[in-house]
Amino acid sequence: MEFPNHHRQIVEDLMAGKFMLPNERTYQTVKDNEQSYTYFFKASFNYELRLTQDYAYVVSEESAEMLSRDICIFIALLSYELDRDGKNFLERIQFSEFEMEEIENYFTNSSYIDLILSNKQLKDADARKNFINTLNRRNIIEKTGDNRFVFTSAHKFFVDFATDIVKYENTEKEG
Amino acid sequence: MMKAEPKTILRFLLEHYDVIAELFETQSNEGIIKFEVLNQIVSKHESDIRSQLIEYKILSPVNDNYEIRTVYFNLIEFILSEFKPMLPETIEKYHTSIAELFRKIRENINGDKVTLSQRLNDLAIEVRSFYEMVERNTQSLLQETRELKANVKKIDYREKIVRASRWIDEYIIPLNKILDINHSTSVANKLYEISELSNKYRLNFDDENARIQFEKLYFQLIQVNDNLLRQSKILTNELLPLIERIRTESIILTGWITYLKNPYKRKAPKLLKRKEVSVYSKDTFFNASEIFEQFKNETDVYFEEEENEAEKWIFDKDHYTKKLKDNLPVDNFFSWCNKTLKEDYKKVEIEKFFALTTLAFDEDIEREYGAKPQFDKIKINDLTLTVPKVTINQQSQLIDPNHGIS
Repeated sequence: MEFPNHHRQIVEDLMAGKFMLPNERTYQTVKDNEQSYTYFFKASFNYELRLTQDYAYVVSEESAEMLSRDICIFIALLSYELDRDGKNFLERIQFSEFEMEEIENYFTNSSYIDLILSNKQLKDADARKNFINTLNRRNIIEKTGDNRFVFTSAHKFFVDFATDIVKYENTEKEG
Repeated sequence: MMKAEPKTILRFLLEHYDVIAELFETQSNEGIIKFEVLNQIVSKHESDIRSQLIEYKILSPVNDNYEIRTVYFNLIEFILSEFKPMLPETIEKYHTSIAELFRKIRENINGDKVTLSQRLNDLAIEVRSFYEMVERNTQSLLQETRELKANVKKIDYREKIVRASRWIDEYIIPLNKILDINHSTSVANKLYEISELSNKYRLNFDDENARIQFEKLYFQLIQVNDNLLRQSKILTNELLPLIERIRTESIILTGWITYLKNPYKRKAPKLLKRKEVSVYSKDTFFNASEIFEQFKNETDVYFEEEENEAEKWIFDKDHYTKKLKDNLPVDNFFSWCNKTLKEDYKKVEIEKFFALTTLAFDEDIEREYGAKPQFDKIKINDLTLTVPKVTINQQSQLIDPNHGIS
């Protein structure tokens, strides 16, 4: 039985909950063998493979709900604060590098401070530093230095979620 | 008939520009200048120029109110560059007027030269008006869009989505259609047709005057075409992406703000839960640190006291005393206890065992030990007890205190 190139790496990465990115060679292999991998993950683990032009990842019914929620809060707060600061938040998230100092400024001076303080993963600078490492392991950001990072295209997974909230609310209203 | 000299009117406009600008602003906002508003403005500037405003035909009465005449309104609008975007339907009317003039020119090309000349002249005016209107509309849309982007008026995100969507659907897309040369019913396409005809007749037409007019029209159309192309590029390359981005950004921000209202009650998108942590994998360090990081942020955990649902066991002393007496003599009392309980219950709890051993203290029971203390080991569940070997007869006898259970 023959497996595509980098098969082991693909399974290891996706099973570790990582987002696979278009600039990774494994992504191309998954893309070229989308049907096989969809079937492979479904048959082997009952996981669903999701492949978009921005990322590949697998999802199961058993979800890391708390982490997902905190990532949403983090990106939501950052977007809100960037916009409030007169920045094009979408462009910044897509194309710019962030320094932890900037993140700290936004979070410590945010009007959402109560929400931040009540969140175990975002409540203070140490917690946020650990949180950034978690995002790095999941390939949602890429660390470019000790205190610097850029968002990867996996951030679109969460941005799409924000868009869906509005769509859902509009449908609810119309319904 | 205008009695006043043109220079007098222009000087008047210059001298009283502040009053006129305020009247312009009022009409822009309210559509009309009310009688009392006119009085207020005039008295505020301490110059009663009401009669001149009427005499120079700057204002015209509408019922009891006033409005600035279109020609002055357009002039001030132009000077201030404060255009309001027009609905493309307004621009679309040029298609009819231009097409109609063009049809008449083509059909009567060999007709009366004076009429032809007049029509060519009118056509040039219409083309110029059309282009100016397109340019004004593009510029005003661009200005409004930039203001919306900078959110000068502090409008909320939902309103931004509505506004951006309306501009795209009602202004930009229809305007783009008007400027699309490949669209057979577009104004730009009609201008292209006129340009071809002008090109033909500017080189070959028996009347020299008309030939010159065709030539003028042809070069005007080349210029207009270039300008329209530039406007079209502004629309598609700058305005549309900018406004699309405002819309997208506003949708995303609206979504996030809605989410932040109560993130703990909303479902988050599904993220794979990591399961397998292999100690020999190259990610061991990260996996381990991820686990330890969770403990850094300990959450308060509350336990509710569980109620013991098992039925409480009550020792039936009479039943077991009878059973013991029936089995007398018992060679090894503690073994007998264990055996009897095992017969009655699937699982023997230590409390049942201790309850049963109390029979040995009954006054009617005679206990007997060997000369040397002997010990047995009894296993009850996971507990191993070391117990003395006690024989039970009928006569009463005291247990030696040195032979206790350990």
